[in-house]
Amino acid sequence: MQRVDEFILQDVGGEAILVPIGQKVVDLNGLIALNATGLFLWEQLAQPREVGELADLLCGEFEVEPAVARNDVLAFTQRLREIGAVIE
Amino acid sequence: MSPEPGAYRGVLDRLARAAQAKGQPYNGTIELTARCNLACRMCYVRLPANDAAARAAELSAAQWLEVVAQAQAGGMVFLLITGGEPLLRPDFFELWAPLTRRGLMLTLYTNATLVTESVAERLAAAPPSRIGVTLYGATAATYEAVTGQPDGLERCLAGIERLMRRGLPLVVRSTLSTYNVDELEAMRAIAADFGVPFQSSWYLTGRADRQPSEAAACRLSDSCGLDLEAEDRERRGLPAAEGRRTPPPANAEAFYCAAGQASFVLDPSGAMHVCLDLRQPGARPLEVGFEAAWAATRAFVAAHNELGAECAACDVRAWCGRCPASSMIETGTLTEPVPALCELAKLRAARETAGV
Repeated sequence: MQRVDEFILQDVGGEAILVPIGQKVVDLNGLIALNATGLFLWEQLAQPREVGELADLLCGEFEVEPAVARNDVLAFTQRLREIGAVIE
Repeated sequence: MSPEPGAYRGVLDRLARAAQAKGQPYNGTIELTARCNLACRMCYVRLPANDAAARAAELSAAQWLEVVAQAQAGGMVFLLITGGEPLLRPDFFELWAPLTRRGLMLTLYTNATLVTESVAERLAAAPPSRIGVTLYGATAATYEAVTGQPDGLERCLAGIERLMRRGLPLVVRSTLSTYNVDELEAMRAIAADFGVPFQSSWYLTGRADRQPSEAAACRLSDSCGLDLEAEDRERRGLPAAEGRRTPPPANAEAFYCAAGQASFVLDPSGAMHVCLDLRQPGARPLEVGFEAAWAATRAFVAAHNELGAECAACDVRAWCGRCPASSMIETGTLTEPVPALCELAKLRAARETAGV
């Protein structure tokens, strides 16, 4: 999967948010606040990534067990799919 | 992000605090024009639609795009486009369409009376995060009494319908006065029928340019206004005393909101101000650069951030909405008490202390 171009990463007071543009504005009706791992994963999704690959990258960046990392990646990417922020 | 309005509000509040802590100008307002096709009695900024001098002073769409690019580089993420009536500008979409591609949380305030099928179509093609439509009454007679427009309500409702049909995210807002308060429930019903949120405000201030205003004459009585505040808190499931500001410490700062600390306003000529009600200091990003204009705005707030002696000693200050902007409008100073707000604060304190 890979992120789409209709979400722009912005910084408000050190907090990362994704702001939708175009029709995604109406679909989402809000913004997405990213925590540190969410921001890391969003940055990795600039290029096509598989879930296992993202989990490995997460383990390399944060102190987290592989099983926990995989669950986090699955939950995060599922949410991104729901709002159309990634394509397969 | 959360679909829950309350939770979403919590995220927005957290972002505001984070930005203010860093002095980031994350929240901008562009007053695209002070001209309006309506002539609302109580409006704090109203010039005739055909005011040639006002039109001549307005920045062009290209100039605004330059200012916005600078503002975004300086940290702006949220942007409100307001007026006057922004849709009066014939070049509105020359500005609007590019703005919607910049990754801004963009809000448009309009009276919707100029929203034709074509305008609605162009807004749907370049949608904002939110459109706030102001409703001035629930009957044609009241709408006309407030705005001077005999067919205003009809045009407004048609505009809302055109926006709703295209799935645009709307909020209906109303400014309450003695002219329309009896139609509050009917205005709420109109918003509910469209399936959109309704917001209202009641405390009318004078004009920011200190020109004569009918605001005080149209303003609801304190008692009526406080009843509405209490009703609103109940409607939102908040405890009665939630309307009270947190009691400030003895050395409280005069500017208690984000104005000039994380938010700013640009008037139609491109001058930067603390807020819509406080037209200072007026530095121009196109002349001095956005960064310098923001620094001047922050410096102005920092230099005037002490309460006047009377307000500092007041024991109902925690219930008072006065700020340097309200003092400037009513007294021409940044610090003098505003008698109408003093009375309102006393009554609010008495009611909430008594648990009313």
